[in-house]
Amino acid sequence: MRNVVAIAKKELNIYFTTPIAYAMFAVMTLLLSYVFAGYLNAFSKLSLEANVNPQIAEYLNATDMIVYPLVVFGGVFVVFIVPFLSMRLIAEEKRQKTFELLMTSPLRPVEIVLGKYLGGVAIMGVAVLIALLFPAILQLFAGSAGTGGSGGIEWRTTLLGFFGLFLWSSAAMAIGMFVSSLTSSQAVSAIVSLLVLLLMWLASWGAMATDGALSEVMNWLSAQRHLHGFARGVFDLKDLAYYLSWIVLGLFLTHRAIEAHRWA
Amino acid sequence: MIEVKGLTKRYRDRAAIEGLSFELEEGDILGFLGPNGAGKTTTMRVLAGFLPATSGSAKVAGFDVFEQPLEVKRRLGYLPEQPPLYPDMTVGSYLRFCAEVKGIASKGLKAEIDRVARLTRVDDVLGRVIANLSKGYRQRVGLAQAIIGSPPVLILDEPTVGLDPLQIIEVRDLVRDLAASGKHTIILSTHILQEVTELCRKVLVIKSGKLVDFDTIEGLRSRHVDGKELSLEEIYLRLIDPTGELRHRPAEGATPAPQTPNADAGSAESAPQSAGAPSPEPAPAGAGAETTSSDGEPPTKAAAN
Repeated sequence: MRNVVAIAKKELNIYFTTPIAYAMFAVMTLLLSYVFAGYLNAFSKLSLEANVNPQIAEYLNATDMIVYPLVVFGGVFVVFIVPFLSMRLIAEEKRQKTFELLMTSPLRPVEIVLGKYLGGVAIMGVAVLIALLFPAILQLFAGSAGTGGSGGIEWRTTLLGFFGLFLWSSAAMAIGMFVSSLTSSQAVSAIVSLLVLLLMWLASWGAMATDGALSEVMNWLSAQRHLHGFARGVFDLKDLAYYLSWIVLGLFLTHRAIEAHRWA
Repeated sequence: MIEVKGLTKRYRDRAAIEGLSFELEEGDILGFLGPNGAGKTTTMRVLAGFLPATSGSAKVAGFDVFEQPLEVKRRLGYLPEQPPLYPDMTVGSYLRFCAEVKGIASKGLKAEIDRVARLTRVDDVLGRVIANLSKGYRQRVGLAQAIIGSPPVLILDEPTVGLDPLQIIEVRDLVRDLAASGKHTIILSTHILQEVTELCRKVLVIKSGKLVDFDTIEGLRSRHVDGKELSLEEIYLRLIDPTGELRHRPAEGATPAPQTPNADAGSAESAPQSAGAPSPEPAPAGAGAETTSSDGEPPTKAAAN
């Protein structure tokens, strides 16, 4: 366990001494602000209309109209940002020849895998926490505006949505780490994981174009579908199982890839 | 302390080392010699548990490298050919990381880092980012990493390469101190034969993956007598190039000066390399430096390095 923590600490140390973590946080905040402002604008226009049309007021809900699309957009962001965080995890060690240090230190391959994964997941955890600032801002301003305590957002739904986002980042990180363990080129690692994650995200499109069993499989494979559940505030074990399976698979395959070095 | 039996490592059909066997006692300092590409690095990687061998066995500190790798790695410090450094970390955090993964108790961690930093004279750059350090500092940070926790076995792959003369002397002194403590068994690969004469008790020479000779320095000297006592350099050349054809072929046209006993190590190093020279004709101007150096001009060679 101590070794796992030591490696995770080292990964975070490198993420934060190089610009990569800061660049990612900055880009994310910028994009999310833009999207957030857009949804907020649409919502405020609709609520003006609601003044004259009480039917609209019935389904006017800040959580559904701002937080939900924000979480889904966050899911797209994960597709594009995680490959650039995961690409260096193992490929860089190989290129830099520091892999030799890890492999000749008294470390088990499983400790190397878990430590690196923990470092990667921690940075995505920080990103999700930063993203949580947006619903917090909403709460801050909308909370007092509501009439009779109806203001603000539904925190249970919001937190579940962000938890789903964190699960999706973790699954993406596990897959990205596996791809990174297959090459010593960070560029190759980033491109391949980006493609894989994009396919996972867009699998539901394939589901729409097909029917029968194939459609169902595609739907099940779609990362987007499973995130929707969380974002809607519905906790389904199937969705949790989906993300956990990818995490376990990614970690297992990375472990195999590192273990293979001891034999080849 | 180290027991190697019939060690073979093949990459597809090419054998990097073949049937290598030798034994070292505790406190032995071994000079590991051989031309570039002879299999020195491969042997060291196998002993350090980085590469698996194709066949044969290796035991370090009583543990089999393949069966109980963790036990071996706990007792071993390894400096690869290219120091395994994270350029984005500071020296201090890098050494801390190394100490942690080598299982040094958190209580003595700080003291141990300070100790190795002082020994390798990197204590004045602990706060600096590794990417900004000079080559000499990087090499010494790599060395600090290897000796952290005082492992009983040290494997150093060309620890003095790329250092300036003063730094070479410093590293040599450091290895000598480690050797003098008698607690370390050290395998040291180098091209600088003078270093071997100064530091090592035993010498192992390999060529094309095969053992050429393994003995104490005195043993080698007593077996190779040629009217007078030969220097290690002369012995090395005899072992690697018994007929002398490798040395003299590319030197054609230049003065075939005999190796003087006090010639610096550089000349000996270049001798086996020059075997790769493609034609016996006088070398073109571009390769001039290398050709001249191969018959005894150490300064040129040292500069080219």
